[in-house]
Amino acid sequence: MTHPASGASGAILEGPLDAAPFPETLSAHVVTPGPRPRLHGYDVEADLACHYTPTDVLFLTLTGELPAPELSAALGIAFAFLAPVSVAHASVHAAVLARTCGTTSSSTIGVAAIALAEQARVLLDEHAAWLAWLAAPNDAFPALYRAADASDAAASARLREALAVVGFRAPWLSEKPTRSAALLGVLFTCGLTERASLEAAVVTARLPTAVAEAMAVKVADFNQYPTNLPRYSYQELP
Amino acid sequence: MSPPPLVETTRSAFWASDEAHYHGHRVFKELAGKESWTGMMGLSLFGRKIPPDICGVLDDAVGALTLADPRIWPLKLTRVVGSYGGLLPALFAGQLAEDGARIGPWACVEAAKALLLLHAEIDGQQDDAEHVSQVVAEYRRKHRFVWGFGTPYRGRDERVVAFRRSMEQRQRSELPYYRTMNAVARAMKEATGAEPNIGGVMASALLDMDLEPLEVGATVVAVIQHMFFSQALESTRAPNLTLRELPSEYVTYRGHEPRTSPRGRPL
Repeated sequence: MTHPASGASGAILEGPLDAAPFPETLSAHVVTPGPRPRLHGYDVEADLACHYTPTDVLFLTLTGELPAPELSAALGIAFAFLAPVSVAHASVHAAVLARTCGTTSSSTIGVAAIALAEQARVLLDEHAAWLAWLAAPNDAFPALYRAADASDAAASARLREALAVVGFRAPWLSEKPTRSAALLGVLFTCGLTERASLEAAVVTARLPTAVAEAMAVKVADFNQYPTNLPRYSYQELP
Repeated sequence: MSPPPLVETTRSAFWASDEAHYHGHRVFKELAGKESWTGMMGLSLFGRKIPPDICGVLDDAVGALTLADPRIWPLKLTRVVGSYGGLLPALFAGQLAEDGARIGPWACVEAAKALLLLHAEIDGQQDDAEHVSQVVAEYRRKHRFVWGFGTPYRGRDERVVAFRRSMEQRQRSELPYYRTMNAVARAMKEATGAEPNIGGVMASALLDMDLEPLEVGATVVAVIQHMFFSQALESTRAPNLTLRELPSEYVTYRGHEPRTSPRGRPL
């Protein structure tokens, strides 16, 4: 075996990580390496690209299985409803700030992804009890997740209406959940039951809007950014 | 059958059985308890132990560069992401926004590149004002602007004043790149009225330490990190829920008017 490490004296160096029995190759579980990729076994170029929507492929990627035909349209609706996040949200605001700083487009996308992942984490935290109920709906519908204000109730109703058109049915929809709870409920019911998969789906749905909002800003145009929003009141320690 | 081992050479570090090695030094025998925080950062950035006077310059830079107002854009970005409550995402999102940016460490990288070119053209004649003016004029003809100059929102960069004082006290103001910076500053002032900013002055000080432009950027990232920690900690200790989602009156929509898609139109 080759020992690439040597000390200042030229002596061969070995340490705990050299002796430990690690595997010698990376494991691929989702995409086959090489020029003709398969995604969870499906030929991407000859099969998936020709027969499935981007949302279907995303669902397959995250769950390992294609969505049932009757759920595919519901997923598309859920992703479309999830996509718009305005600059009022910190996730998109952060991307706009990155662009304002004049960073590269790749780092702007990176900042957007970090911030959207944080937003999704908080969303999932806030809906932990809802997801637990969806997994085992033995008790009454959790009232915390029922749309309370008129605007949210209306948004939730529009989602129910769109889902009804494509034949998506879930008993909890009649309880008039909040828009966010309903969207997570649709994803969960379709099969995105793991927290990481839900976070990834939310971030993936929203990334284009965050990036587009950032790209709409002129690079390094500090004078057009509301620097004093919010105003900071500096208080020295007594 | 196992594939042949892939080998990548590193001069940074190795975890050996006897002890950890770092840039050619035994960590516990030669570094731990002997090198300061700045010394360890210097070793990481320069790839070699740095003498106490260089440590002193870096320590002075940390102080002089402390302009940590939460409205400074990358720091504000840290606070905006911090409104979700995650410390490291906030910390690193702010720093990621400095990659290639017009302000912060990458402005120093660009200033270092400019200074290298100007230094070569000035060719040791920093005291020849006419020659320096010609070099600067030629540079300005070829480039959109001279990185390291210009101080937005005020007449001069107060950090430059503080850092120059320390450079003089440490008797580093006669070093080659620093002299070039001062010579270029005089020519720029005469030609455009622009004052040097901290990016330009830091770049010259770091070039005098034999750093490459990329290492200049990395060193500036290191010496301004404390401000990101401060903003990230404060903003995540008590997340600002208003910043998490600004009330609608603070957003003005300037995009498309409402319209209906071709597929959404009634048949």
